[in-house]
Amino acid sequence: MRVLQKGLIVTQAGDAFREGHVDADGFRIRYMEAGQGPPFVHLHGAGGLRLTRGHDLLSRQFRVIAFEMPGFGASPENDRSRDMPELAATMATATDALGLDQFNLMGTSFGGKTALWLALLQPDRVQALVLEAPAAIRPHGSRPPAGSPEEMARRLFAHPERLAPMPLPDPAVQARQARLTARLRGPDRDADLEGRLPGLVVPTLVLFGTVDRVIPAEMGRFYKELMPNCHLVFVYDAGHAISTDRPEAFVEVVADFIERREAFVISRTDTVIHP
Amino acid sequence: MQVSYFETARYRVPPAIPAEWPVPPGAYDPETGAEAYQGMVDRVQFVEELGFDWVSLSEHHYSPRILTPNIAVSGSYIAARSKRIKIAVLGPIVSQSNPVQVAEEMAMLDTLSNGRLVFGMLRGTTNEYLTFDLNPAEARERTTEGMELILKAWTEPQPFGWQGRHYQFRTVSVWPRPLQQPLPPTYSLGTSRESCEFAARHHIGLGVSFAPFEVVAKSTRYYREQCRHYGWEPAAEQMIYRANILLADTDEEAHELLEQQRRGAAPFPMRAGVREALLKLDQRNVAGEARSPNVGGVLPTSFYGGPDTVVAQIRRCRDEVGVGVLDLAFQNPGAPDTGRLMRSLELFAEKVLPRIREV
Amino acid sequence: MKVSYFETARYRAPRQLPAQWPVPPAAYDRDAGTQSYHGMVERMQFVEKLGFDWISVSEHHYSPQRLTPNPVVSAAYLAGYAQNIKIAVLGPIVSQSNPVQVAEELAMLDNMLPGRLVVGMLRGITGEYLTYGLNPAEARERTSEAMELVLKAWTEPQPFGWQGRHFRFRTVAVWPRPRQQPHPPTYALGTSRESCEFAARHHLGLGVSYAPFGVIAKATRFYRDACAQCGWQPAPEHVIYRANILIGETDAEAEALLDEQRRARQAFPLRAQVRDALLELDIRNVAGEARTPNVGGVLPTNFVGSPDTIVEQIKCCREQSGVGVIDLMFQIPGSADLGFLMRSLELFGTKVLPRIRDV
Repeated sequence: MRVLQKGLIVTQAGDAFREGHVDADGFRIRYMEAGQGPPFVHLHGAGGLRLTRGHDLLSRQFRVIAFEMPGFGASPENDRSRDMPELAATMATATDALGLDQFNLMGTSFGGKTALWLALLQPDRVQALVLEAPAAIRPHGSRPPAGSPEEMARRLFAHPERLAPMPLPDPAVQARQARLTARLRGPDRDADLEGRLPGLVVPTLVLFGTVDRVIPAEMGRFYKELMPNCHLVFVYDAGHAISTDRPEAFVEVVADFIERREAFVISRTDTVIHP
Repeated sequence: MQVSYFETARYRVPPAIPAEWPVPPGAYDPETGAEAYQGMVDRVQFVEELGFDWVSLSEHHYSPRILTPNIAVSGSYIAARSKRIKIAVLGPIVSQSNPVQVAEEMAMLDTLSNGRLVFGMLRGTTNEYLTFDLNPAEARERTTEGMELILKAWTEPQPFGWQGRHYQFRTVSVWPRPLQQPLPPTYSLGTSRESCEFAARHHIGLGVSFAPFEVVAKSTRYYREQCRHYGWEPAAEQMIYRANILLADTDEEAHELLEQQRRGAAPFPMRAGVREALLKLDQRNVAGEARSPNVGGVLPTSFYGGPDTVVAQIRRCRDEVGVGVLDLAFQNPGAPDTGRLMRSLELFAEKVLPRIREV
Repeated sequence: MKVSYFETARYRAPRQLPAQWPVPPAAYDRDAGTQSYHGMVERMQFVEKLGFDWISVSEHHYSPQRLTPNPVVSAAYLAGYAQNIKIAVLGPIVSQSNPVQVAEELAMLDNMLPGRLVVGMLRGITGEYLTYGLNPAEARERTSEAMELVLKAWTEPQPFGWQGRHFRFRTVAVWPRPRQQPHPPTYALGTSRESCEFAARHHLGLGVSYAPFGVIAKATRFYRDACAQCGWQPAPEHVIYRANILIGETDAEAEALLDEQRRARQAFPLRAQVRDALLELDIRNVAGEARTPNVGGVLPTNFVGSPDTIVEQIKCCREQSGVGVIDLMFQIPGSADLGFLMRSLELFGTKVLPRIRDV
């Protein structure tokens, strides 16, 4: 995907990523990988796997592994995963198959709920959890983005006018993904999940863009309230797709959190103007 | 000996409020908040009547325990509601403020209060590094540069620019000026060698706090040496000791209350991971000797007992530490209301204050 | 129609002041400074008796005309004396402040003045860019982000971090909270399209100033359209018009005073090269139409005449632009003293105010 920044066209996001596959629970799961350093697993949102400048920046410090979950993209229809915990369990198995013991985990939107369940199921393996505009706690009557590419763009991004036109998604893929996510997204308020969150001690960073038109930023406070080791950060003038809208601002705080966890609240900025 | 009453605009914290700092603002109750400020005014007017020389304020953020994130604002409100008592701001956290803004606000406050301002400049307690993202490694330098800029902004007659390490301004020209000339009584707050040296070099006072007499005495001794080195002698009132006091009718009662307090909650409890990280980064010293910082924990009580005992302790403090001003934080352990606090204040005014004036 | 009295903490220099900005602080006279703050309280108590609805204060730095570099500090002082008048802080220059600090200060004030605080947030006039070294090219963006952060800091119940373009915080958890919920009545100050849109989007009021009624009407029309697009309708009280007023017993008297004022006006012009450079960099608009900024020049007087004439002008203003609050800056012609101001206030309070209540 090409990204316009202040009128300049930069290199294709994801250029440095290499494709791979693992088998888990009878699925052949595709992933894209780049970078060296601590492992950083990413679970995408309802629109499927899409590499952004955020991934590029993260791959400078971490070994980024962005999975394409079964049923998304070109993979065959997934009618076996019955609910989100099952999908999460499958993805946990996928990380096993890659030989990862412990790892940092990020989930975006729909994938945020998947990541939460993965952390609940295997808390000892998740070193830090990052939730990018998570869809696990939603206002009643919440609707996923749908409609024409223009409508989708308006809902996902703070400044759709700044993005280069993206390739039109395959309608068949879109339909399959929509069916899958409808089945797995669960209720707007999931009592079972929320009941377990107070027991999740994994250090967690929750990010919301201040102009998120899919899940309002006000949802962030629920995670902070429920989880014992949770930090809430708003990314100004970013929409639902934070890492597309403001990748540098996004990565700065995510990388710091991965490295220092709750100590990330202590500044190490150098404010010396001249020596 | 002059006596100052340390006022925190204490918010009556119901037990259900989460303890860890920062406390979610959602827990705030507007009625209780308004009461806190009304209580502040009531107590200031009360101690003014009782004959305390100063009321002091401190700057703390994101906490129900001390509702004064901007001292100039509470100081100003108090100035309108009091007549004679001095208003001691001890002090704005210079390392994380705009020093020119501090200079402007304090000049306003000195003028609004008709020259009752006492001004202390603070580096900041360890937990405050998290408020406005101050890098602990830079705190010392930023404080020193900030303090110099504030003094310059008050005394330089011409507009000037400032090419600092941490602060840069093309134009500084502060209006109004402080009412008191050449400066309001000014103090550098902190036991460190850097604080003592700055105070000596700039002919200002020193403020120390909370640690036992032997510890703070090291600082005041070093400060006086440094002053001599710069060719002057500080008066006793140029040294302040802020301390906790637990005054009761009898020694036994005071000891009981002290026990209660020791079992009580720390004022700014922090998540363990953050506290440990801060402990490693925050370097503090007493007149050059390293000491571990207090990261939001309970502070010792330097004066406790019945009136006679406290008078003796104050005399000993004067002998060992040499300060001429005591800034007292009256402890109120366990009690949700301020009734006992008011009685302590009365007891102090009646049975202690008259006996320590000439100390 | 509500009426607000704009109090500037007017400083009356005893001697001729040097002409250019910034005026050296060496020229500051302490007695005049003290007088200006006392006068502030006197005038507030006077207009309160006369029945004015609000008293407003603004932020100006390095200025020998208005001694309020931090308007919240002067407002806190007034709060100590105010009985039932509302205090409007119009407004902190958020583009060059720490927005979290602004949120804290105003929340404190809202608790001291239960239910009677009004807030306006300002981008800042062109000259103010020089105070703390604000890059004019960044002013618009910094203002928008700062205003959002202030609103968030007042309303978000959980501690949060902020990854902005111009501001970054790891932890924000403002205590106290504002007493008024969800926050004090808040206005975006400025005629620009950006101000109007921001106000509409965040359910805030709009504050406009000094321009002729026709120009103001453009902005208020645009604002109301923007609100409609966001699904709500502002009440007349959602729009404030700050204006200069010169009231005389008769029209002739008022006109004569206006002439005198034009001749004797003491502005503080910037050095020509600086002014020209700023004019190039400062881009302003009225509801999207470009307009030249006013760089330290004289502002028009919008209401001039006898009480009858002024009543008509106010009605006309209301018809054209729909404002519901007028925030009046009472002019004092060059040679006149503060007694003139009090007489103007009295004249207005007795002969105009009762007649415009139901406008």
